[in-house]
Amino acid sequence: MKNSLQTALTATVFLGLLCGNAQAAPAAKVKIALIVESTVDDKGWCQSMHDAILAVQKKHGVANIEYSHSEKMKPVDAGSAARQYASKGFDIIICHGAQYNNLVTEMSGVFPNTTFAYGTSANIGPKNVFTYTPFSEETGYLNGIIAGMVTKTNKIGNVGPVDGGDSARYTRGFLLGVKAANPSASVRVAFTGSFGDFVKAGELAQTQLKDGADVLTGSAQQAIGALRAVAAAPAGIYWVGQDTAQLGMPEATRVLAACSYNYAAVVEALIAKRAAGVKGGESLPLQFSNGGFRFEFNSKMDAKVLTPAIKKAVEKAKADLTSGKLKLDWKAIKL
Amino acid sequence: MNMGVGIYNVLCLAVPFSVAILVAALGENFNQRAGVFNLGCDGIMCMGAFLGFMLPYSVKTGALAPYGNLLGLACAMAVGAAFGLLFALVTVTFRASQGIAGIGLQMLGWGLSGTLFRHFVGGVTGVEGIASMPIPGLSKIPFLGGVLFSHNPLAYVAFLLVPASWFLLYKTPWGLKVRAVGTHPRAADTMGIRVDRTRYQALMLGGAMAGLAGAYLSLCQAKMFSDDLVAGRGFIAVALVYFGRWSPLGILGGALLFSIAQSFQLSMQVWGIKFPYEFAVMLPYVLVIVVLALARKARQLGPTDLGKPYNREMRF
Repeated sequence: MKNSLQTALTATVFLGLLCGNAQAAPAAKVKIALIVESTVDDKGWCQSMHDAILAVQKKHGVANIEYSHSEKMKPVDAGSAARQYASKGFDIIICHGAQYNNLVTEMSGVFPNTTFAYGTSANIGPKNVFTYTPFSEETGYLNGIIAGMVTKTNKIGNVGPVDGGDSARYTRGFLLGVKAANPSASVRVAFTGSFGDFVKAGELAQTQLKDGADVLTGSAQQAIGALRAVAAAPAGIYWVGQDTAQLGMPEATRVLAACSYNYAAVVEALIAKRAAGVKGGESLPLQFSNGGFRFEFNSKMDAKVLTPAIKKAVEKAKADLTSGKLKLDWKAIKL
Repeated sequence: MNMGVGIYNVLCLAVPFSVAILVAALGENFNQRAGVFNLGCDGIMCMGAFLGFMLPYSVKTGALAPYGNLLGLACAMAVGAAFGLLFALVTVTFRASQGIAGIGLQMLGWGLSGTLFRHFVGGVTGVEGIASMPIPGLSKIPFLGGVLFSHNPLAYVAFLLVPASWFLLYKTPWGLKVRAVGTHPRAADTMGIRVDRTRYQALMLGGAMAGLAGAYLSLCQAKMFSDDLVAGRGFIAVALVYFGRWSPLGILGGALLFSIAQSFQLSMQVWGIKFPYEFAVMLPYVLVIVVLALARKARQLGPTDLGKPYNREMRF
């Protein structure tokens, strides 16, 4: 009887979180801090989390969500920032990057009442640590379909930072997407070895273009360097992006479509779970099915390039991913 | 992939990749020939990259828009010279440790450029920059035309700076003074050469060239600015001076070797050659270290008073 009651209560709380309580304004004011290694306007990794927190703050009101952030925090420097936030009574501290793993693990023991979060990681950490993982193979898959259907040379370039984390998932999803849309196209996968070396990303993009690639993609903040190289290339060279902010840049004339992370789902979940007494010990996924991704076509792109057939194929794949009908075995892809 | 086409592509890309480190290293060579090594080269490149970007960004809609790039280059060189002057003040006049002062200058340049960028610009944005300018006629020469004559105007300037630097160092009275104050400042002083003044001049020239190198990155390569744009290339430039044995021609060889290795490792990945990319991206740096280690006699060719502050009142 006692077990049944516990099960029923747990199920009620869980369903509540899923069915709307997660969207409700927090009962008490929540103080959220963000620590990033780059800047919150990098049109990439850090900005996506910053924008998500601002969106959640706007939704619930500044009176209910207090937000502060620290930029340019190397893992060795971030400890003091995290300590200060925790000491000032911040409820949720998001250290946005897998490189903060050790720091978060250490801090979580010192401040057991604070909720820490970091990602991308699927680790199940201490009881007051959440991790989050974008299933980036889904966004990569959609971009891959577009690249496969647009390419004329059947050579597609990928400018990756490193073969790890969500970049590895994105790259493999992209390969699956290209293969599904155009099996005869080849994807040249290469890495710069850096998340922030824009010049090297540009150099790698130039190498891809010289080799005959006519559609490129790339991830992490360094991808902007590759996009700049694409923008400077002759007409007929296109880009599929991993950040929708790229659709608002002057280089957008070459951007066919872009996906981006919607971390608002993660932030909402962190607030709701903490309110429900769950301070951590879980990994939160970002998927199309939970609103964790955004995807946009470039509305100004020539319809002869971004044809209705491409849009239809992408929309179908997106619907299948959202419904769970399409599962991507990204781990099976060996580079 | 056809092997010939592959080599051609590697060489075509290596030339523009080499420009920034070549120009910065040629400037650093003036510093070191005068007896001062400037580890702050990277920071000066950051400031040069920032101002090189900032000027065309600021005037893009005004009457000065057509001159934005030129203004950017001029300001980048000016700020580089100013940083060289600051470094000279600290190391020549106040005789501070050159290594420590250089690291300080690097951090100052990196931090200041990032801070100013955030204040005046904000997020990542681009400029039109300087486009490639194939040289009519020459660019049509089979093979060589694509490798040597189809680049950005600054690339041609960079390669012309090699003989210009050589001429300045070895064929002019000023060059002789620079070499003299770097090799035996007391003897130079005895001969009436003003050691401090010559070192100031060399550091300002070296700084201006580092600023120009930074502007190349922001105006020609990336056509944008970010805090991490230079990404340690200034330190590569310092290493290239040792690598090139303080000779402009040797520095050119080193810059080309490094950039060919860089271009090759990127191409190798693109060609799909099965090789761990982690090792591939290390290749250019490992190559520089190996050659530096093998060229152990190089130090004997360098300025013998390199790194030592000069004090005419002190007797040895």
